[in-house]
Amino acid sequence: MAWLRLGLLPPLLAALLALSWPSLAAADESPVLVAHPDVRTVRLTRDTTRAIFAMRQRTWPDGQAVRVHVLNNDDPVHGRFVKERLAVYPHQLQLAWDRMVFSGTGQAPTRVFSQAEMRERIANTPGALGYLEREYLDDRVQVISVE
Amino acid sequence: MIVSKSFRWSDRRARLALAALLLGGTTPAAADSSMLDTLQLHGFLSQALVITDRNDFFGPSSSGGGSLKFTEIGANASIRPHQDVLIAAQVLSRRAGGDGSDAKPVLDYGVVDYQMVSNQQRTLGAQVGRFKNPFGFYNQTRDVAFTRPSILLPQSIYFDRTRSLGLAGDGVSIYLEERLPQGILRTQVGAGKAQVGDDVERALGLEPFPGSLESQSSAIGQIRYEHDGGRIIAALSTASAEAEYSSSVAALDGGQFNFRPWILSLQYNAEKWSLTGEYAIRKLSLEGFDGFRNFNTTGESWYLQYSRRFLDDWQWFVRYDSLVSDRSDRSGRIFEAQTGRPAHSQYADDVTLGLQWTPVSRLLLAAEYHHIDGTGWLPTQDNPDPTETSRRWNMLLFQLSLRF
Repeated sequence: MAWLRLGLLPPLLAALLALSWPSLAAADESPVLVAHPDVRTVRLTRDTTRAIFAMRQRTWPDGQAVRVHVLNNDDPVHGRFVKERLAVYPHQLQLAWDRMVFSGTGQAPTRVFSQAEMRERIANTPGALGYLEREYLDDRVQVISVE
Repeated sequence: MIVSKSFRWSDRRARLALAALLLGGTTPAAADSSMLDTLQLHGFLSQALVITDRNDFFGPSSSGGGSLKFTEIGANASIRPHQDVLIAAQVLSRRAGGDGSDAKPVLDYGVVDYQMVSNQQRTLGAQVGRFKNPFGFYNQTRDVAFTRPSILLPQSIYFDRTRSLGLAGDGVSIYLEERLPQGILRTQVGAGKAQVGDDVERALGLEPFPGSLESQSSAIGQIRYEHDGGRIIAALSTASAEAEYSSSVAALDGGQFNFRPWILSLQYNAEKWSLTGEYAIRKLSLEGFDGFRNFNTTGESWYLQYSRRFLDDWQWFVRYDSLVSDRSDRSGRIFEAQTGRPAHSQYADDVTLGLQWTPVSRLLLAAEYHHIDGTGWLPTQDNPDPTETSRRWNMLLFQLSLRF
């Protein structure tokens, strides 16, 4: 086919693949990253954020132990955070955790059951990291920006 | 679901005792409470029913109502005594067709993991102890149903015959994860002592002789690239395992066994579907077995799998999986002429269709159907006489798995 010879196939494929992948542009209403107020890091790259939530990276950039908190896999807030902020899918993250937990290469995150519980835990656990929708923010937690 | 929270035990002493056990005798007083908060316990249990029309797989699957002799039970504990240190161990009990004694619990892994560098660009760490070999996509957690795409992993690559060889190493493994602009590059190299179980002797036909294979050095390496958060994953793995045979039979004593596989792994992940393929080349040699079957063969395996998620908690997949024991004798005819054993024991082509349902995250129910041409990965343990095996056979499996 002529369009093949014109080299249109690679961009076409790329466009198709891009359509099937979560948008990297985080909408304003996406849950925001929050941490314990004493955490000294104020911003993380998306790759580091992803590595921390995948439980591959166990410390904050300054060396403090990071304590990751997540909502249930089927919680819509978890789904939005994972897709919009980390650009992965909840089932992929769960599989990554299972592979770490059952191979001796890492631990599972701490599961919380509501955003109110998330806020309490983040406010009271040194090194804690999690996410909240904006209406759940208060001054006991600090917002971490993602570059 | 993996819920560490469910183990916020009220009995602090029990936690302290377990922590002390994991830390190898450190006094409980030395373990402070924030460290204890990092203690996690997890486990899994899987029970399968295997039904075949001809040939036996994991027990007497071709007679009566099938075989229930495929059970996997595991439990692990992990703790972080220091921000850069993880200590983790898992005990595994696995029965795959053998008698009950096969299910004796063994140490699956037991490591001290130390991360010397961990920043926004990279993570560098080392594992000392018994570490799981990162071989292909699935080897590290091959016995955990929740991490498998199917009840049986593609047998061409993850076959059971010599599973002990590639499972884990006793030694040191070093890993480096580099965060690149478009993805993550993860490299792991390990050196140590491979485990050589009875399965290897059985597979090599050494079982009737007085003697045993003693493992020597083994090495493993994997380089893995995850593009764009895991949309595309590529990995190249290799290993080398050696063992020496010691026997009272002079002609066999000092025989060397060598296993060198390579695996290329590729996966594409979309939200609702994944396409996975792996290709492996296995060099296998026996030398110094005077008057016995010395050999030097290269086997070849590959599979291609499409899996699709639907209705949130369901997934189906289709897979074509192919194994050739000796690339220079793909049909097995030369083998048959030389040994009198069937040609079909030298290959296996398996078409599989399967379904998985996860009604709640702690429970997985799965079913799958295999249509197989060849007995290349059929366990010899279940089929001691190769001349009584059938070339074409069908297999139906059901499995229930739980985890915490």
